[in-house]
Amino acid sequence: MSDEATPYRKAEEVKPVTSADSTVDRVVMRDIRKRYGMVDALRGVTLRVGPGEVIGLVGDNAAGKSTLMKVLAGAVVPDSGEIVFDGRPVSFSTPRDARELGIEMVYQDLALCDDIDVAGNLFLGREPRKAGGLLLDVAQMHRDARRHLDALNIRIPLTDIPVGGLSGGQRQAVAIARAVTFGPKLLILDEPTAALAVAEVETVLELIKTVSAQGVSVILITHRLQDLFRVCDRLCVMYEGTLRADLDARATSLERLVSEIVAHDQIDPGAGDAAAGDGRRENDTTEGARR
Amino acid sequence: MTTSERTTTSERGGGAAVSERVVTTRSARANAHIGKHAQTIAIGVVLVVLLIFFAFSADRFATTGNILNLLRQISPTLIVAIAMTFVISTSGIDLSVGSTVALSGSLLAIVLQHGWDPTLALVAILALGALIGFVNGWFSSYQNIPPFIVTLAMLSIMRGTALRATEGYSTPIDGELWIVQLGQGRVAGIPVPVILAVVIAAVGWLTLTRTPFGRYVIGLGSNGESLRRTGVNTRKVGLAVYVLTGLAAALAGVLIATRLSSGSSNAGSGFELEVITAVVLGGTSLFGGRGSMLGTILGALTLGVIANGLVLLHVSPFYVQIVQGAILLLAIFANSKVWARFGAVRK
Repeated sequence: MSDEATPYRKAEEVKPVTSADSTVDRVVMRDIRKRYGMVDALRGVTLRVGPGEVIGLVGDNAAGKSTLMKVLAGAVVPDSGEIVFDGRPVSFSTPRDARELGIEMVYQDLALCDDIDVAGNLFLGREPRKAGGLLLDVAQMHRDARRHLDALNIRIPLTDIPVGGLSGGQRQAVAIARAVTFGPKLLILDEPTAALAVAEVETVLELIKTVSAQGVSVILITHRLQDLFRVCDRLCVMYEGTLRADLDARATSLERLVSEIVAHDQIDPGAGDAAAGDGRRENDTTEGARR
Repeated sequence: MTTSERTTTSERGGGAAVSERVVTTRSARANAHIGKHAQTIAIGVVLVVLLIFFAFSADRFATTGNILNLLRQISPTLIVAIAMTFVISTSGIDLSVGSTVALSGSLLAIVLQHGWDPTLALVAILALGALIGFVNGWFSSYQNIPPFIVTLAMLSIMRGTALRATEGYSTPIDGELWIVQLGQGRVAGIPVPVILAVVIAAVGWLTLTRTPFGRYVIGLGSNGESLRRTGVNTRKVGLAVYVLTGLAAALAGVLIATRLSSGSSNAGSGFELEVITAVVLGGTSLFGGRGSMLGTILGALTLGVIANGLVLLHVSPFYVQIVQGAILLLAIFANSKVWARFGAVRK
């Protein structure tokens, strides 16, 4: 009950940390393998994510990104491999197991109820109640929703309109905000900006920054490579079921990233690194100061 | 991109140009709210127009006796329509309610004739209704068979069972038993079925709009997968709504049988159409996700007023069915084509 009333307390308890001063990894996936019949979907993938770190997970279609994330979210059970969460070895057989540890996944298809209002969607399944749990505490729900949206800098002036009437960016923001209300330690976003207008992409990218500043680790799957350099600390490139490259987002050029994704070794990997890298590093310093 | 630009963007959370684009406009809000209530207002207006029309054209329409009679006539429909609002809000349908009315009325009369205690008989009949709903719900919600087919099959099974149990004859109910008061009694001049209907309508409204269960019913009809991912047991919710219609139909069967002092296997024919018309007329979407309890109440009253008024105008009662079917078709047309223009509706 009281936990539902302050849904994002957990996220606040986690001290804001940047990737630089992290000592314990939030999650380490070690040598994850998964085979579907004749297809090797994952051929021994090792991935680590620090607290508050934003990882961009990229790769061509069928590279294994989604499978890897489903393993992490508990929707797919790997054939072999080890997952260590906050220093403890864990194994998931259902998404619920992963969620209880604080791993939330926001799916591509938004997963909101169009006919229910913003506040209702934010607290769907965990509504604040009164009268001994019999009735919804609607007023409390709208107050919490407002507080929650403000804390995440989400600009939705009204919490009592159905989400069906919102723009794509606002809907995506509500979906992410909902995942954050669970107080996650790790947030997996699958193509959050795929169907959005340019201005709306900004909303979502800012939201990712806000969330990670609160100490939540974020794994971002996207095909919009330009977004990655805006928000990510590291870029992990998958290729045919393996982790092909683990790059520092500040020291990597778009050309280098593309060549890794298509596994094209002929392109000079050093070209253009310096320019993009410097800008990103400066930006990070100012952000760190702001925090 | 320079450092200063970046910092500003971060702090403002998107920048001025962005916020202008994403802010929800007042008109969007107005549309959403009008969309929510427009149908209820529309059906309210239709009801008032009909009331005025019949009050001036039919001599005995606007008398206390006739109004109470009208309300008593519509009570069983209203009770089942309240439950049906939940079912239709989940994007389901229950066609078996008319047959359940016949079966419960018939069985009530039969077991009373066998000397059962009326209270026990009432409890048993209501339990049977809930069981019928449970079977409907288990097949549709747990086995994912379209509820249209499940309840259509159940319609046939229950009607057949009622016919088999009564051999087609009406079974009289002894007027001395207290249970007859359910259909015929009055409290402070108001018929008992009307009081029951009002209480059930109030509870139904509270449940749909103010409880987690009501929220999940709407969520299930709107985007069941989304609701399931939040950890709600959607199958249980999907089953529960059919238990509600089964229970309500059994109660309606009891009210009708005790009103007539007789249980008939032919009772409640076309009842499901009347109930569904009342619900759809009130603005509840057949595609799920939108349910209006107030609308359902107004819808049921409108149907009652039309049936009652036409009879008082000496129009052939056979026209009532024609009018009802036409209203259903028009209401669905309005739901999906006219009201869909308001922002809130996307389906």
